Amino acid sequence: MMKKTATLLSSVVLTMALGTMSVSADTKIGVLVPDSGPAGLFGPSTRNSAVLAAKQINANGGINGEQIELVFADVGVPPAEAAQAALRLWKGQGAEAFVGMHDSAVREALIGRFNGEVPYVYTPVYEGNSCADGLYITGETPSQQLEPVIPFLAEKEGVSKWYLIGHDYNWPRDTNALAKGFIADAGGEVVGEEYVPFTVGEFDSSLQRIKESGADAVLVTLVGGGSVGFNVSFAGFGLDDQAIRLGTLIEENTLAGIGADNANRLYSSSGYFSSIETDAAASFAADYSAAFGSDAPALNGLGQSAYEGLMLLAALTNKAGSLDVAAMDAAAEGTTWSTPRGDNTLMGRHMAQTIYLADGSGGAFNVVASFDNVPSSEACSN
Amino acid sequence: MSSVLLLNLAWQISTLALVALGLAIVFGKLRIMNMAHGEFVMIGAYAPVITSMLGLPGWLQLPVCLVTVGPVAFVLERTIIRHLYGRMFDSLLATWGIAILLREIVELIFGRGYQSVSPPIAGTVCVFGADYPAYRIAVIIGILLGFIGLYWWNTRSKTGTRIKAMVGNPNLAEAIGINTARLSAGAFVFGCCTAGLAGLILAPTVRIEPMMGLDYLIRSFFALVVGGLGSLEGLGIGSGIIAGTQTFLGAVASQTYGYLAVLTLSILFLWLKPNGVRSSSR
Repeated sequence: MMKKTATLLSSVVLTMALGTMSVSADTKIGVLVPDSGPAGLFGPSTRNSAVLAAKQINANGGINGEQIELVFADVGVPPAEAAQAALRLWKGQGAEAFVGMHDSAVREALIGRFNGEVPYVYTPVYEGNSCADGLYITGETPSQQLEPVIPFLAEKEGVSKWYLIGHDYNWPRDTNALAKGFIADAGGEVVGEEYVPFTVGEFDSSLQRIKESGADAVLVTLVGGGSVGFNVSFAGFGLDDQAIRLGTLIEENTLAGIGADNANRLYSSSGYFSSIETDAAASFAADYSAAFGSDAPALNGLGQSAYEGLMLLAALTNKAGSLDVAAMDAAAEGTTWSTPRGDNTLMGRHMAQTIYLADGSGGAFNVVASFDNVPSSEACSN
Repeated sequence: MSSVLLLNLAWQISTLALVALGLAIVFGKLRIMNMAHGEFVMIGAYAPVITSMLGLPGWLQLPVCLVTVGPVAFVLERTIIRHLYGRMFDSLLATWGIAILLREIVELIFGRGYQSVSPPIAGTVCVFGADYPAYRIAVIIGILLGFIGLYWWNTRSKTGTRIKAMVGNPNLAEAIGINTARLSAGAFVFGCCTAGLAGLILAPTVRIEPMMGLDYLIRSFFALVVGGLGSLEGLGIGSGIIAGTQTFLGAVASQTYGYLAVLTLSILFLWLKPNGVRSSSR
């Protein structure tokens, strides 16, 4: 009992100490990460990347001359609960801006809850066309990942017959709708299109259809475990000899699950890979392992996007001179800043950025091409 | 019907029968609703991950699988499960808790990320004019032989009858000389080990992560609902109907229709024929 009381007391003292610390004029930024749920795998790398960004921003003098302090909430939960968690950070803990790495359903709930009263940066890969007051986006949209990449692969690999396979929801469908145009422009054709429910864990019949279609390229918009299962079986059936694969959400963890044996001619298109060899990316990766150890959760495009989001928030706030949404919205267009991904520009509230194409053959991403300053065609009209 | 479709049917039905076997024993014979069944499949699938992490030779995968799954199952049976014989709903809740516990333990050790495993036999072979993964062909043949052996043993052994006596009336069973503690622990551990073995066998062909067990649990229950509890024939029929429907409709229509049909079938069976196609207890 004594021990319990002592622990309780010391935690009270600690809380008070932390409380007084935060009374100093730090600006609090709410960071919304998936600690639980289907995207929980990305929670740790997202948190770590956010912490690195805060360190960097504070070293550069903070935002508008004030140091920043991060407050986290788990948004790997249903949208209504996630909105509650964000509200607690906003009204309860005094967060003055938000950076979120979570799914689109949560984003829509947050847009409704924030109602343009607080700046909000959304960071992961997503389907595009989300526009609201105070909403800024760093994540890659389908046009950015595909427009430069499809003609490049058509040329490099000599492929023209594309098979499109994805999970049955809006991101794959929106991606494929755009892909069809890029494939036609590159002189190719679509020989099959298929959407699979999330509940299906085996892809044998889809693989047979791909084989019979004579496809020489497959655009994969399956996500997570489904993508792993599909790609493992794809190579098991020897289809990697018949067709290349291009994924727009195959990051380092997914590739690890697919395995070196099954990743022959598997391409991924993204704004970030841990193996990007630019100076900025290399020093970011070095800082990451220095701060969190060499066995820290692997860097990947989703986790790293939290760093991008905070850097955008800092650049935009410093340009606008305040965290007021109207001022930020007015200053948003044309904001430029540099990150591990490269040189970025805010265009139509979306981040025009460098897109990297990496080959996963051998089980590790090897960047084979990069395309500078690719704008999104699914951006906002301002 | 193309030969690839026939081979896909054989693969899906045989692997589902293997995955569901352990559940059929534990649920069908011991009357324990083992919600942690899929987690034993998952632990088995980590055996090749363990051997490759420790740099052990490939032939140790099977021993490692049994050494990880067996003791876990034994300890759980002796500490928790044995108090729950004859209390089906309580067993459901308890094993659901165990399932969460096992997932968290595996996550603590290996992390949440995906693992990958190379198949022991690589490449494809030409069967009936179709290129099919050689490993899958070997697995289909192995499972078929295994089930023939099990059927042969089951028709001659009295173990099934003893288990039935034990579950029906434990006191009477002990009075006539059945060692119920040994029998129940043995049956539970055997059932869990077949699940682990299924995980080991499936590992090179599926995703491996702490949450993977859930998929196998649900499909196994569907197979048992349709086939009926308590007999190997029922298990075969149930697996055939569930995996067959999904694979066939998935091939000729789409995966969505395949899954819809499986759900519909399961509901219809629960409603109209709750004992399944075969429910004799042999």
